[in-house]
Amino acid sequence: MTHDELRELTGAYALGVVTGEERRAIEAHLAVCPECAAEVRDFATVAEGLALAVDQHEPPAAVRSRVLSAIGEPGDARSTFAVSAGRPAAVGHGLRYLAAAASLAAILAGLFAFDAHRRARVAEDDLQVERVRLEAIERELETQRAEAQSAARAAEILAAPDVARIDLSGQKPAPGAAGRAYFSPSRGVVFVATNLPEVPAGRDYQLWVVTKRGPVSAGIFRTDAAGGTVRLIGFPGDANDAVAFAVTLEPAGGLPAPSNTNFYLLGSL
Amino acid sequence: VTQPSTDTVAGPRRGAEDDRVIVTRMASGDSRALGDLYDRHARGVYSLARRILPDGGQAEDIVQEVFTQAWQQAQRYDPQRASVATWLLMMARTRSIDRLRARRAGGRDVGAEPQLEELPDPLPRQDALAITSEMAARLREALRLLSDGQRQAIELAYYEGLSQTEISDRLHEPLGTIKTRIRSGLLKLRDALRDQGA
Repeated sequence: MTHDELRELTGAYALGVVTGEERRAIEAHLAVCPECAAEVRDFATVAEGLALAVDQHEPPAAVRSRVLSAIGEPGDARSTFAVSAGRPAAVGHGLRYLAAAASLAAILAGLFAFDAHRRARVAEDDLQVERVRLEAIERELETQRAEAQSAARAAEILAAPDVARIDLSGQKPAPGAAGRAYFSPSRGVVFVATNLPEVPAGRDYQLWVVTKRGPVSAGIFRTDAAGGTVRLIGFPGDANDAVAFAVTLEPAGGLPAPSNTNFYLLGSL
Repeated sequence: VTQPSTDTVAGPRRGAEDDRVIVTRMASGDSRALGDLYDRHARGVYSLARRILPDGGQAEDIVQEVFTQAWQQAQRYDPQRASVATWLLMMARTRSIDRLRARRAGGRDVGAEPQLEELPDPLPRQDALAITSEMAARLREALRLLSDGQRQAIELAYYEGLSQTEISDRLHEPLGTIKTRIRSGLLKLRDALRDQGA
């Protein structure tokens, strides 16, 4: 091939579309022709740019999880709680709740040094299963360390003999949100939620215990700056006949009864 | 939950260094580093695959394959040969075009196809311009300014992996015409990048 013929291959070579025969010819030529070699380098830079000069699209979020789970990484820690909370709530297995509540109590025992050895032993078997969920809750609880009084109260609720766990799932205004309530009719409710939209100015979220007689307020809360995480410890009063938990958006300070049924989170006992 | 898609390429110096640190972490088995790499480059990889493949679902498969491959081959990544962004995009292009060819061939013998995987050995790059997202935008603009024939030939080569002979067959144009269009078009694009760099 003449020099001009070989030079006609620089573009195809840089774009990666030469055949084997063409490739051998051009590579032999590039070794002895600095001019063509420089051209190939320039064209290779152009080719690199062509990879980026396309309309940009964001891949669907599920692809990220697929990539990470393909290598055995359990996905994004930030979504762990939402994922586990998204499972159907298996309400009614009293022993299971007792065990979960007892393992939470064990964590609090470490933080506030009250004796919960016995409960911790009960919790051990279930601990592995609950590990991922507990880590999310533990992170929540750690940030509360200074609020010893509330935490002690939470411990009381979590370790109460009549405690039950209610998983709340995100509804239409907040499909990605998830919540969980540990509810003891005799002692109160510990509630955590993630991924709620930031609360608008002049409004608060309000947690309701829906009883057969109607909804009872369990308190108001706001989202924190990071990730819409909330915690709430409340006592809804007489709620022995609770059938569901719900979160609505209400005027700041809350209302005695919900003003709307546009639920952000909902879960039944 | 993705971070604001970082300049795959922009903020070239800093971004490229961060990329190398991430790949080094991957090579040492830190699986969280793969998530970091994904957050920085999934958009670019996915967008290129979508440009090449007609089917968005296939582009998602490409993203998964590329990042899995990057995880497996992190120890073999050589920063002397290509930036991390280019490394990922080359994998995306090769895999996407392989799929495209498989569809086109539909069982036919594809022995005479150009051998994409043998090329990307892009010569030492120290003297070359590092592509930034701003330059990519400039390149898009320059592509529009090419003649239709030049742009079509370059796009068929780069985004569909066709050889000059195949492009000639596809467009019913003489081979010499195609060769001239590709080279003259690339020279214009090169000049557009140089103007930008200057």
